[in-house]
Amino acid sequence: MESPETLQAKLKKANEALSEKKEALHRARDYLENVLENSRDMVFRADLDDVLVSFSKGGESALGYTREELSGRKMKDLAEHPHDFESLAVQCLEKKETVREEISFQHKTGRIVYCEVILSPLTNTRGKVIGMAGVCRDITAWKKFKEDLIRVDRLAEVGRIASGIVHELNNPVAVIGEISGWVGSVAGDAEGLSEEDREEIKTSIRHIGEQTQRCRNITHQLLSFVRESKLATSSLDAHELLKETINLLTPELKFTDVEIVYNFLEGPVFINSDKQLLEQVFVNFISNAVYAVKEKGEKRGRITLETFLDDSGDSPMVGIAISDTGVGISRKDQKSIYEYFYSTKPPGKGTGLGLPISRNIIKNLGGSLSLESEPGEGTTFTVRLPVS
Amino acid sequence: MSEKSDIRVLLIDDEETLVEYLSKRLLREGYTVKATFSGEEATEVANNDDFDVAIVDLKMPGMDGVETQKRLKKIQPFLQCVVLTGHGTIDTALESGKKEAFKYLLKPIEYDNLVETINEAYEHKVQLQNARFKDEVEDIYRSGLGARGMKKAMSKLRKIYGIS
Repeated sequence: MESPETLQAKLKKANEALSEKKEALHRARDYLENVLENSRDMVFRADLDDVLVSFSKGGESALGYTREELSGRKMKDLAEHPHDFESLAVQCLEKKETVREEISFQHKTGRIVYCEVILSPLTNTRGKVIGMAGVCRDITAWKKFKEDLIRVDRLAEVGRIASGIVHELNNPVAVIGEISGWVGSVAGDAEGLSEEDREEIKTSIRHIGEQTQRCRNITHQLLSFVRESKLATSSLDAHELLKETINLLTPELKFTDVEIVYNFLEGPVFINSDKQLLEQVFVNFISNAVYAVKEKGEKRGRITLETFLDDSGDSPMVGIAISDTGVGISRKDQKSIYEYFYSTKPPGKGTGLGLPISRNIIKNLGGSLSLESEPGEGTTFTVRLPVS
Repeated sequence: MSEKSDIRVLLIDDEETLVEYLSKRLLREGYTVKATFSGEEATEVANNDDFDVAIVDLKMPGMDGVETQKRLKKIQPFLQCVVLTGHGTIDTALESGKKEAFKYLLKPIEYDNLVETINEAYEHKVQLQNARFKDEVEDIYRSGLGARGMKKAMSKLRKIYGIS
């Protein structure tokens, strides 16, 4: 028999050990809770029927639901395709092992959130499975980044192929041009040819010439896009550049009933840009405007060139708006106009390259491009470029 | 102004059909034309015959346009070279042969533009040649040679400059 004193001492010791263990347990729990609450990952626990038991703060922000809203709901119902999650859960519970899968969930607002889900079975002390614990990582941004990379890569590949094809096409096109020129000069003074036939041949030769010119336009535009040249930026006056561009287009404007209105800020407006590229951009926009006005067929169309300063962003920008009173762009076309080879003009009139190339140039020059259009009323393209 | 038949044009391009039709057209206009399909062939031809203007394609298998015009210039220093370049290669072309070429033309060339360039190049060549010839004739006069020596030197000079 032990004396009460020793028993007391033993009890005291046991108590002390217990509170030490309790303390350690608390610390561990606090630590885990801390991790759970601060993790950006969505950590959840569900019972055998997939009903949510707990849900971390990271989950709330990832999917937009509060814990209260989720209590009693099933995890699979949050997935875009419930079946995907269900089959993963079955796999986890039946095999009693940790499984991993990419599953898309639906945010409270409806947008899709791509997640990598790791699901593990939860067992009690006797080894019986009583539920599941899961960790989901939001990989939407990563996925989008990966898709962008693939797209850029594919575009670069298309560019390389196009450049090769275009170079190869240039020569036969040149040969066709030369041969037709030759035929023209032979027919020009061939004997025994009626005047009628001679005219007929001349007209046909002219048509061949126009078509080879059309091929050249496409190849040149494509090559100027593919060409990886450095930007030759300098400080230049936007007003002067716009006026020069209008001069360039005089032949086109002469045969159109269109009035050019300048709505410029007072004095020169300097931007830091590549003159040649920017000129190409404005030629594109203004020829499109002329085309839209012609298409509408009304008397007295108007193209307005406006400049303004925009200080709303991080750095001051010069805005250049090109508006026309033409046919406008339908909602459907507005979505696609920056796609390569997308053109609403009849065959031969448009290459489907002007706008995507222009947008690309503006982007490379550190600017931005926006569009406003009302079908039947007109279109405004607004270019913003950094002030020099 | 000179007659077109006085203008001797050397064409060098590996695109044979193009050269064929281009030379046909130029011949019909009255130019004297020799068609060749490589830099090697062109230099060989230039060793035997004199030319005023050479039209050289920049990109050719074997000897390229830059090398070809360098060699041609060595054989016939007054020969004016017009270089045809593809899109995007004009910068490199300018760097490698800035001094040598009379002009660069972007392919595909426009025929009227080419004809104009050939005429300009010819005028340029004649001017250069005349100026130089005059200088050398003056040198001979100043040299104090006797009448016989002077005659000999002059005929030698005539031969060099292709003046008969």
